[in-house]
Amino acid sequence: MKISLNWLKDYIDLSGISAEEIVEKITYAGLEVEEVADQSMNFTNMIVGFVKDRKKHPNADKLSLCIVSDGTRDYNVVCGAPNVAAGQKIAFAKIGTIIPNGGFKIEKAKIRGEVSEGMICSERELGISDNHEGIMVLDSSLAEGTELSTALGLDDVTMEINITPNRADALSHIGVARDLCAIFNRPLKYPNIDLNESGKKSEELAAVEIRDSQKCPRYIGKVVSNVEIKESPEWMKKRLKSIGLRPINNVVDVTNYVLHEVGQPLHAFDLDNLAHKKIVVRRAEEGEKFVTLDSKERKMKSSDLMICDAERSVAIAGVMGGENSEVTATTKNILVESAYFNPSSVRKTAKNLALSTDASYRFERGTDYNITLWAAKRAAQLIQQTAGGEIALGEIDAYPNQILSPKVEVRFARINKILGYEIPKVVAERILTNLGFVVVEKSEEKLFVEIPSYRGDVEREIDLIEEVARIYGYNNIPEINKISITLEEKVDQSEFTDRLRTVFNSLGFYEIVTNSMLSENIATKFGSPVSVLNPQSSEMSHIRPSLLPGMLTTVANNLKVSEKDLMLFELGKIINKKNNAIISFDDFEETENCVAIITGNSVRTKWYAKDKQFDLYDLKGIVEVLLSKQLPGVQITFERGSASSKNYKNGLNVLVNETTIGEIGELRDSVAAIFDVNQKTYALEINIDELKKIVTPKKSFNELLKFPKVYRDCAFVLDADIESGQVVEVIKQSSTKLLHNVILFDIFQSESLGKHKKSLAFQLEYFDLARTLTEEEVDKDFRTAIKAVETKFTAQLRGT
Amino acid sequence: MLDRIESTRKIFDEDLSKVTDLASLEELRIKYLSRKGLITQIVDSLKDVPKEEKPKAGKAVNELKNHTNSSFEELKLKLESETINREEFIDLSLPGVEKAIGSKHIITQTLDEIKNIFKGLGFSVYEGPELESDYNNFTALNFAEDHPARDMQDTFFVTDKFLLRTHTSPVQIRLMTSKQPPLRAIMPGKVYRNEAVSAKSYCLFHQVEGLYVDTDVTFAELKGTLVAFVKQFFGQDVQYRFRPSFFPFTEPSAEMDIWWEPKGKEGRWMEILGCGMVDPNVLRNVGIDPEKYVGYAFGMGIERTAMRKYGIDDIRILFDNDKRFLTQF
Repeated sequence: MKISLNWLKDYIDLSGISAEEIVEKITYAGLEVEEVADQSMNFTNMIVGFVKDRKKHPNADKLSLCIVSDGTRDYNVVCGAPNVAAGQKIAFAKIGTIIPNGGFKIEKAKIRGEVSEGMICSERELGISDNHEGIMVLDSSLAEGTELSTALGLDDVTMEINITPNRADALSHIGVARDLCAIFNRPLKYPNIDLNESGKKSEELAAVEIRDSQKCPRYIGKVVSNVEIKESPEWMKKRLKSIGLRPINNVVDVTNYVLHEVGQPLHAFDLDNLAHKKIVVRRAEEGEKFVTLDSKERKMKSSDLMICDAERSVAIAGVMGGENSEVTATTKNILVESAYFNPSSVRKTAKNLALSTDASYRFERGTDYNITLWAAKRAAQLIQQTAGGEIALGEIDAYPNQILSPKVEVRFARINKILGYEIPKVVAERILTNLGFVVVEKSEEKLFVEIPSYRGDVEREIDLIEEVARIYGYNNIPEINKISITLEEKVDQSEFTDRLRTVFNSLGFYEIVTNSMLSENIATKFGSPVSVLNPQSSEMSHIRPSLLPGMLTTVANNLKVSEKDLMLFELGKIINKKNNAIISFDDFEETENCVAIITGNSVRTKWYAKDKQFDLYDLKGIVEVLLSKQLPGVQITFERGSASSKNYKNGLNVLVNETTIGEIGELRDSVAAIFDVNQKTYALEINIDELKKIVTPKKSFNELLKFPKVYRDCAFVLDADIESGQVVEVIKQSSTKLLHNVILFDIFQSESLGKHKKSLAFQLEYFDLARTLTEEEVDKDFRTAIKAVETKFTAQLRGT
Repeated sequence: MLDRIESTRKIFDEDLSKVTDLASLEELRIKYLSRKGLITQIVDSLKDVPKEEKPKAGKAVNELKNHTNSSFEELKLKLESETINREEFIDLSLPGVEKAIGSKHIITQTLDEIKNIFKGLGFSVYEGPELESDYNNFTALNFAEDHPARDMQDTFFVTDKFLLRTHTSPVQIRLMTSKQPPLRAIMPGKVYRNEAVSAKSYCLFHQVEGLYVDTDVTFAELKGTLVAFVKQFFGQDVQYRFRPSFFPFTEPSAEMDIWWEPKGKEGRWMEILGCGMVDPNVLRNVGIDPEKYVGYAFGMGIERTAMRKYGIDDIRILFDNDKRFLTQF
């Protein structure tokens, strides 16, 4: 909201306070000033000059040579304007001035051989109007040397203030002035309204009937007759323009003026266009069509409140007037509406229509139900001032149930308890009084105050405490430099994933964070996504049901910039529907998940190594170390995944202590193609919630082995389609507990072994924690194992 | 005798200076230091020296022996290492074998830093769901039905009762509903805002919520705690200020700004967090007696804080996950 400092000065004496101080103090009181525009900055170096002498330029017919005085010295100025004459007071731009309109800088120059030490400006050059027919001639009473901005009254400072939704009271100049009164402890001055009423009573000229007093508790109508619609006077246009409003005509401008003066939205009807000169406030017909001032047809709901005449709707209450009753150039008689509408009702209507106006913005935040009368009178006064006419006697005040101002108690001890700082009682009382709260009762312990009608946001003791604190100044409440720490149980629910991240990092993985919003097309391919009702775009209409899409998008983006070797992971929430309709938390499942990928090369050819592409075994090894670091002491196994897995070929389920917690695999080409990932990519997906449930054995020290290990090597030729894992299993099963480890150290396939044959070479590791083994017992065990493999797989021991 | 010693030393030194390889060094050794070498001969001849000259001669011989031995060893080491260098050359300029470790995303790194500071101040860490009920996200937090305060946070609705949480504050509700005070916790997580994606805003970001509820919590303590935080996070000399603001779930409410001077640009106040005293209505909604207990709460965005810290001016780069970006942190 824009606030003009000059306008504010109508309501509070701000003498002796700089604009900077106002900006700072008002921000510290909760009206955050986001931008300040100082109009006088446009007129730096410009003063009122006096043309002492003018003669023709010796070398140019159309130019004049002037002597301009600033009161202390004279300047030679070459001027091209036809109307320049000796004795004029003019707008003089000294050397160094930047001309407001055009932005060029005035330099000392020689024009056709004559020195010129400045410029006499036109209105257009000053940015005041489009007039460029000649120089601007100023009022002769102005003293030369006066700052031009002061002389022209173009020294306003405007502030853009961010008003929080609770502060409806501050959405006007008087509202802002009221806070300044409390801050600077100065009185608030309302403009004096001394109405010159004549003729008939308002009630005789028009009538008002409220049919829904819940949605419209109060409606005031005031009649002004025989007005002349024309342009507003300069002073009003200037004010409206200073806060960014476009002047329309005198009557409409008055309604806008009063709105920004006191915060009460007004509407002016052409009384002669109201059937039977009557206002009926009632609900709309369901589906009723209504054309608003902006010439748009709106469709109404039966819950919307309308302002009607005896026959038809003429305005949407609190939102916008209708085309059928607006004030036009020929309007003679005016009915001014000053009403109080129910905030939530106006908000619903504005939302339904997707239409926010200056009026609805204020009504939905809650206007002042008592200022309505003052605002109606003020409007009548200003209409008469700017448009002439007669103000009818009195007003129509439809106010079926008077709203009573609530009273609230505030305890001084409570102020101190909440703030942790003692604000003197007199100061607290003064702050509240300056803000318009009326102390109706007071004691040593507390104040009992009546809440002013413009402060609908203040309802409780805590709200009053805030009022005291914000005007006292948050920065004046000292912060304590010591805290006590209670010794309740400390919990860190993020510890598990934090640790997992660190393990990923140590394995070479970078963490990514991706957008959780996906298109329907992508999302439905990876689960049962939940959709949002009001997405920004179809590209982001569904909540991710899997982390894979975000990861693969990231891979694709990196491939595009030639980053081909990637080890990435993401930890985050995924959401899947369990039932079609989402009525409760049971209808969907939110899971913490983890995805990791490896793709490209693990090694790019270097002096010490050759190119090596990542493969599934890299990922398998990563998963083993990752999980054994994260959950020490657990058993990690893999089992062949379903061949019909949608995302993976050669997929494996990952099991921890026999619970499936995730899967790994090579991404199917069809899946990779969706994201334009055109290189082999291996992915890991883990359900973190499941992983967290796994109980790790308590860590304890294992005695170090005191006796030597004994190794035996063997190699078998067997059918190529036998899995090494099966062979290891048979070796383990056929051996005694002396066998502790089976290491596959070579795989070899060649025609020389026979068709579809391969050789697997194993090293078997034997030891006993309690003694040294004899060669004989190891050999016996070893032979049994070989026999078992030979029998089970019709394998042949190599080298025999 | 002394003359002989002196002259032997001279010839030895002369011969030594001519040695250029291990073979000629070996010849030198045989000539002087072997069992029949010149030095050994001199040592042997010491027994023929008259008794009164013996101490002096003995000392001179010892010195000669030490000199030749050490000169010999020194040269031997030098020649040996020269030989090794020539035959087993090591190119020490070769680059090391590459090893890689990854890193956490800077959002996580920033969050970790914030978490560590608050954990040090006795805060626990709690998490909550992203798909929340309208009740937990708004109603329980004192957002009145049909109040313009609901417009402060553009919301992605899933149904009229469920939504993507717009802030981490619903975790406050969950925590206070499940546990009794004293409660001191921070609650980090992803939050969503229905805003067009641009350099300045993204449809999601991360927040850290803070909450402390006990019998004697005050606004002055809230200020003190946050000041301690910004000093530790941004540096002890950080300039800060508090401004009144409005959040439905706190009263009084405040925003904290820090003075920020980006390189080569004009300084200005920048908002870094919102905070306030937990509104009595919120405490009542979770069954805590607001007359007995007082609380404070605060919340801050991680991305903005990280961007400020690292001089990033487009939020989207955080979610692009370009490896050239990731590897910088």
